[in-house]
Amino acid sequence: MLSKRHTDAGLGVLLKATIALTAVFLLLPVVMTVIMSFDSRNYLGQFPPPSLSTQWFTKFAHNGYLWSGLRTSLLLATATTVGATTVGALAALAISRMTAQWRDPVTTAFLSPLVLPGVIIGFALLMAFSALSAVPTFLKMLAGHLLITVPFTIRMTLIGLAGISATLGEAALSLGANERQSFFTIILPLAKNSIAAGAIFAFAFSMDDLTISLFLSDFNTYPLPVALVGLMRSNFDLTLAAAAVFLMGLTVIILIVLDRIFGLERVIGHGIYKA
Amino acid sequence: MRHFKSQLLLLLPAAAVYLFFLVLPLWTVIAESFRTFTPGRIGAVAGAPLTVKNYTEFAGPVYATYFGQTYVLAFFASVIAIIIAFPVAYYIAKNASASVRKIWISALVGLMFLSALVRIYAIELTFGSVGILAPFMSFVGVNMNGTAYINIIIIVGLLHYAIPISILIMIGAILNLNPRLTEAAQSLGASAIESHLSVTIPLCIKGIVSAFLVSMTFGVSAFAIPWILGRGRVQFISNIIYSRFSEVSNYPSGAAISIIMLVLSLLMIFIISRIATFFDRT
Repeated sequence: MLSKRHTDAGLGVLLKATIALTAVFLLLPVVMTVIMSFDSRNYLGQFPPPSLSTQWFTKFAHNGYLWSGLRTSLLLATATTVGATTVGALAALAISRMTAQWRDPVTTAFLSPLVLPGVIIGFALLMAFSALSAVPTFLKMLAGHLLITVPFTIRMTLIGLAGISATLGEAALSLGANERQSFFTIILPLAKNSIAAGAIFAFAFSMDDLTISLFLSDFNTYPLPVALVGLMRSNFDLTLAAAAVFLMGLTVIILIVLDRIFGLERVIGHGIYKA
Repeated sequence: MRHFKSQLLLLLPAAAVYLFFLVLPLWTVIAESFRTFTPGRIGAVAGAPLTVKNYTEFAGPVYATYFGQTYVLAFFASVIAIIIAFPVAYYIAKNASASVRKIWISALVGLMFLSALVRIYAIELTFGSVGILAPFMSFVGVNMNGTAYINIIIIVGLLHYAIPISILIMIGAILNLNPRLTEAAQSLGASAIESHLSVTIPLCIKGIVSAFLVSMTFGVSAFAIPWILGRGRVQFISNIIYSRFSEVSNYPSGAAISIIMLVLSLLMIFIISRIATFFDRT
């Protein structure tokens, strides 16, 4: 009995150590980047910085290359979000009305881009578009981003629709509403939070995509991740740390909005990846 | 019948997106992968003779190294992620107070949403040659430019995403557990570790396998992590495909690797999900 108690006590200590180390491992890089972005030295030196300044943020604010990328990214992510949310919500509506025997294979087919390596999607689109040279770069990237974000909007809308009893829509129909009225007055208001959560996923994943954009962008039209990776490979300085802090701020905003409209705890269990 | 038609109409936009931006492009890749490549050209000439040479050139030991690197590093990262994530997920789901749990979950979802490039930059800054570990590493005599260290940094990069997502998946699985089963085992004389090994883990196996599948899928298709953190010394299959496009413009070869990678990925997902359903049934 004594030895069991000893192993259990040892296990408790080990557990606490694992939890603490995991927290440090996950947060340390983020904290380091924030601190280094305020470094007053004008070269990349050893941690910690001897004194603080905001020079790297000024440099980031005046970096036309990065801002041009950010502008393209914001436009692209907005267009992607609108497109993916509409297309995904409509498809989810159709899937939710299917019989069980159709629903599962159709859902699996529509979620398939989630497991495909981004490089393959980018390369395939590049090959397909190489025959159509007249397509503007922005639209090529939009095609790729739609493909990788529609799975999220379909899945999130399906979660929302699953919570709505089918009898509600049927009640509206039996009371004389047509299909469209029942959709806009009953189904849409009830599913809107899930659809909005899907839209946030679409926006975040479009803003973050590097692999697909890398194949499809050009010197004039490139999104922020392509600009960042270019700088990272040519000039690994702290302007990037300032840009990283800016993007972390964006992540925090996305997190707060997601929490308000959907609830972060609901992301678990049936968020993007289902256990 | 009207009902059926309106359903098809709703599916039409999504089906068009998948047909034009996925199915047809993948078909183009398959067709290109059997074309003969003429060096110095961008892509194969239309109507170039058919060949299987693009595939057979990957049978060599050089390419086996790239495939090996990709799968071995992704596998190690996934296994480490599961081992670390399980106890942390258990603690968050069972022992943490409501407010502590909320903080953990917010941080984990935030880390999941963190820009991939911000993550890579932060890891290079922390564990790279200017990082806080650099003085310690040079003291111990670890060569930070050696392949061994680069491999570790790549695993660290994969873990920084795989751990948060695995914890989130497993919290879901652990919350569905009936705590009485573990308690029953302990009241019948099992130690904490025995009761977890024999009761908790088998009941959560589906969540564990899902977390492993997600980490593996993420790892084998990783592109930016090995591209930046690998410094050209360690490359994944994704990087080879990109170099076929950016450096040599040998599209037929890039297409052939893409098809091999696609088949391997789908095979891996199929096998792991089979394992999951097997455990689910028993």
